[in-house]
Amino acid sequence: MSQLLELRNLGVTYSTGGEAVQAVRGVNLALAPGETLGIAGESGSGKSTVALSVLRLLPRSANVTGEILLDGEDVTTMRWGRLRAVRWSSASVVFQGAMHALNPVRRVGEQIAEPIRLHTDLPEPKVRARVTELLEQVDLPSEKARSYPHELSGGQKQRVMIAMALACEPRLILADEPTTALDVIVQAQVLALLGELVAERGIGLVLITHDLSVLAATCRRIAVMYRGEVVEEGPGDEVMARPRHEHTRALAAAFPTVGDPASRFAPATANPLPPEPDRATPDEETPGLLAARDLRVTFRDRRGEAVHAVAGVDLDVRRDEIVALVGQSGSGKTTLARTLLGLQRPTAGSVLYDGRLVPTSSAGLKEYRRQVQLVLQDPASALNPRHTVYEAVAEGPRIHGLTGDERSLVLEALAAAELRPAETYLSRLPHELSGGQRQRVVIAGALALRPSVLVADEPVASLDASVRGEILGLLLRLRRELGLAALVITHDLGLAWNIADRVAVMYRGELVEVGPVEQVLLEPRHEYTKSLLAALPTGTARASERGV
Amino acid sequence: MTTSTTGGPPAADLDERRAGTSTSRFVAGKVGGALASLVFVVVLGFLLFRMIPGDPVATMTRDRPTSPEQLARLRERLGVDEPLWRQFLDYALGLLRGDLGTSYLYNRPVATMIGERLWPTILLVGTATVLAVALGMWLGVRAAWKRDSTFDRVHTGVALTLWSVPQFWLGLLLLIATQGLFPSRGMRSPDLPEGFLAETLDVAWHLTLPCLTLLAVIYAQYMLVMRSSLLEEMGSEYLTTARAKGLRDDLVRRRHAVPNALLPAVTLVFLQFGMVVSGTVTVEAVFSWPGLGLLTYDALRGPDLPLLQGVFVVLAGSVIVMNLLAELLYRVLDPRVRAA
Amino acid sequence: MTSPAWQRRRTAARDLWREFRTNRGGLVGLCVLAAIVVLAVLAPLITDESGLDVISATGTPLQPPSGEYWLGTDVDGRSVLLLTFWGARVSLLVGFAATVLSVFIGTLVGIVAAHFQGWPSAVLLRVTDFFLVLPSLVLAIALSSVLTKGVWTIVLAIGVTSWPSTARLVRAQTLTIESRPYIERAKALGGGHAHLIGKHVLPAVLPLVLANTTLVVGSSIIAESTLSFLGLGDPTSVSWGSMLQTALSSGAVTAGAWWYLLPPGLAIVVIVLSFTLVGRALETVLNPRLKAGR
Repeated sequence: MSQLLELRNLGVTYSTGGEAVQAVRGVNLALAPGETLGIAGESGSGKSTVALSVLRLLPRSANVTGEILLDGEDVTTMRWGRLRAVRWSSASVVFQGAMHALNPVRRVGEQIAEPIRLHTDLPEPKVRARVTELLEQVDLPSEKARSYPHELSGGQKQRVMIAMALACEPRLILADEPTTALDVIVQAQVLALLGELVAERGIGLVLITHDLSVLAATCRRIAVMYRGEVVEEGPGDEVMARPRHEHTRALAAAFPTVGDPASRFAPATANPLPPEPDRATPDEETPGLLAARDLRVTFRDRRGEAVHAVAGVDLDVRRDEIVALVGQSGSGKTTLARTLLGLQRPTAGSVLYDGRLVPTSSAGLKEYRRQVQLVLQDPASALNPRHTVYEAVAEGPRIHGLTGDERSLVLEALAAAELRPAETYLSRLPHELSGGQRQRVVIAGALALRPSVLVADEPVASLDASVRGEILGLLLRLRRELGLAALVITHDLGLAWNIADRVAVMYRGELVEVGPVEQVLLEPRHEYTKSLLAALPTGTARASERGV
Repeated sequence: MTTSTTGGPPAADLDERRAGTSTSRFVAGKVGGALASLVFVVVLGFLLFRMIPGDPVATMTRDRPTSPEQLARLRERLGVDEPLWRQFLDYALGLLRGDLGTSYLYNRPVATMIGERLWPTILLVGTATVLAVALGMWLGVRAAWKRDSTFDRVHTGVALTLWSVPQFWLGLLLLIATQGLFPSRGMRSPDLPEGFLAETLDVAWHLTLPCLTLLAVIYAQYMLVMRSSLLEEMGSEYLTTARAKGLRDDLVRRRHAVPNALLPAVTLVFLQFGMVVSGTVTVEAVFSWPGLGLLTYDALRGPDLPLLQGVFVVLAGSVIVMNLLAELLYRVLDPRVRAA
Repeated sequence: MTSPAWQRRRTAARDLWREFRTNRGGLVGLCVLAAIVVLAVLAPLITDESGLDVISATGTPLQPPSGEYWLGTDVDGRSVLLLTFWGARVSLLVGFAATVLSVFIGTLVGIVAAHFQGWPSAVLLRVTDFFLVLPSLVLAIALSSVLTKGVWTIVLAIGVTSWPSTARLVRAQTLTIESRPYIERAKALGGGHAHLIGKHVLPAVLPLVLANTTLVVGSSIIAESTLSFLGLGDPTSVSWGSMLQTALSSGAVTAGAWWYLLPPGLAIVVIVLSFTLVGRALETVLNPRLKAGR
């Protein structure tokens, strides 16, 4: 047996406050040199715990059972001295969220050099030469060694983490969500880099992520974890093409392939969707219910220089349609949404509702907000933790002094957001609900005002994959049943393909392409749209196959 | 999960040149702020000692019999019969010339008196602060690293108790407990021995008790600050990275955790400087240490308003200058650029 | 619809109490404080006030502890035990009153400075920072030396000089709360300033203010004793600080009258330590960041 890493019947139990929580149960996995193993799972599935247990980095409250064989040697029984010697020189880790995994007050060159100095006897000039070499390998100029983490972009920090992981030429790299906080294009670059390194050096790579499509592109073997157990394991393409476990199917459906007719207007939801009502054919000439005309928002940065977050945008959201606003972080899409809602004052241009200019007085804005409502990204923080579901949903009607029976209004809104039976939710607090239920409460709170437009900012980005389809299904159902228009802001082209009628692509504050979903996503005209589509993980799969 | 910004300029992340270029702006801003604070101190000094009392002369003479002629002379000397703006102008221009007025009790220039008393206070405060910072930081780091250990419990308990002790009472207690072992008042013995070494030893001899008293209370503060600062850093992910690299526990602490925890602690230490200055007033009063604190104590007997005013302006002004230095130092120590 | 809200508050209070109970230091502090407050309130009922009168004092001056005077007598021949007993009333009164003033100013300034934008909040922030670095005791000394001597002067002097730390805490907490998306949601629902502050910010800030309040009471009591010690207190009433002042100025300390020195000082330490312990326990229970670190 020449396995590089072998987990035998691995179990991890956390004991906190007298309670024992089993995070990982009976996991058996193996990885040969030069191989890539992908571990997929939702938050809380135990996948990160598996990664941390390999180098015994779990907190003291964790109790590990079973065997972890690294090059045939059991990590769980190693002495401290031996363990310290093994750490980083035999196996290293690329942590998730590189912004926190790097020490903020030390130069990145120093941080890369640290394990080299610790594990080898290289003289100082050679250490420095090695740092330069490592930075070159991850396509960073050597001057970056003198930078502090906060001076680097997210992608650059992730590259530094990878350079650091390579420092002692380990035989195994554990990458825990290495691309989660990154934009699609940067994500594709980082994944390609990891793939190349594995191919060139014959090191083993364990890639852990919640995004099955990322694994499909990079990993030969995939293991799917669910509630602490491995529920499915096999060759990558087989798991993707013929998932056996229903959880794998849910994960796979959550990231639809753009262009696949089966997932058009069909988010992965358990409830059947109502049929498409007869809609008047959209007239390109009629102005939208909510419209932006040459909208501009300019900020001043710390040096007083102008930053054009929104640079002249024309956009219409018509009755009875869902528009997806797609762009990378920093493209200005959130600023555009806030400006449409009147939460941010435009520098120039105008926002029109039903053909009339949106007022700027506080009384006028209040009236306007009955019509246009907001759904935020993270439902966990979009609800006041001290307010019950009832109070959260009734907040809008109370602010506006709506007449009528408050209780029946709340129940109606909850039912419309598909929280049934609505009565059982009234007195519950946000922390007693799941992520999907919380997002439904946020939507119910918006619906209670009976608005005509919803603006949803990344409504599913922080939800687990299996819930994602349900929330998207709800948005689509609300449009079909109530004629509720929506502007959905997202970085995810698959979402647009799932539910939107039209898509607007935003790049550096401008809309570079607007049109029907099929037209923009299947026959992109602008270079930027093309590069976004090319960076989708399925796209990299093809690219790396050609490369290797 | 995307990191879409929720309000600020989103493109700011793209800019990598931020650091360094705004240093001069930062320094100018801080110096400007400190100057504004100094002006505010000057105005406050005037408000407190000239306007709030209504009639300063009546306040100063409230506890003693005074003849009408004495009162008239005092009124003239303080210029209280002039219009307020005139008084303020005289006072402000005097400050610019280094003239803080004349003491009512001692009939001497306030500036001269403060000048004489400045150095003993600097000696006392300086020694106590240096010792307290060293002791507090060291104990704080050890207590946080071994959280809930006996060491942590004992030292946190001692620090909390000392923090609850009025400084002057601790001084009085030390006086009684060490009766005769250390000199109880002043800074030098009257029968001064010859030679530099003997003089230094004599001053150190007198310094011991006041310094210990001041030290006991302020080190406790520093220790608690350092402890909680390090505790906050302990959950950080970069420490897991450091451990994963194979660093020994004490290296993880020394190289990674402490430098990060030190930065917020340093700011707090300097913010507490005003508290140290406050402490000297009572400690110097108890031990008759001839510094600014004792001068304040003596001035209260009048109350000698010109003298109090002078001491107030000097003490508050020096705290503001110390704070400015701390903020500039912080900028040097912490590479992260922070929004003002 | 108030009944579910009240029920929820009751369960929240019960949870808080259950967690607070596990903190031994906080519990001991709370018990000691309760005992002291009860004794101070009942002082006129269980002791004879006339013993405080200098003229009718019966004992010999500076007598060490004995069967008749358990803690000895002071320079005027009064019982030190009785003086310490009555001193608690002034110390507690000043401590609480100054704290109410200080916490009120601090909370108001902190919320206003964090919630509103533009120059008024910038000015408030500047003023807060200014008072924060200023030696507050020196300022309090200055204030109480120019005003007429009395209990309320001391309260005022401590109250208006000790608010900046509360303001800073409240401002930081308000900023944290206001950066939460649920504030954005409330704004999008049409909520105005009053709604945001009343429904979201205040309920989230108040628990921390409460924990901070107990810490402020402790430092106010120390400040009161310090001002009294410097001779700035109310000359007509007995407080622990004024007892210590007399002890020093009358030469009792140099004469070695430890029984005159120990009781008031120890009383201050015990009461301040109790407040500190309760405050820290409350902070641990209420501050989610500290709790997560456990």
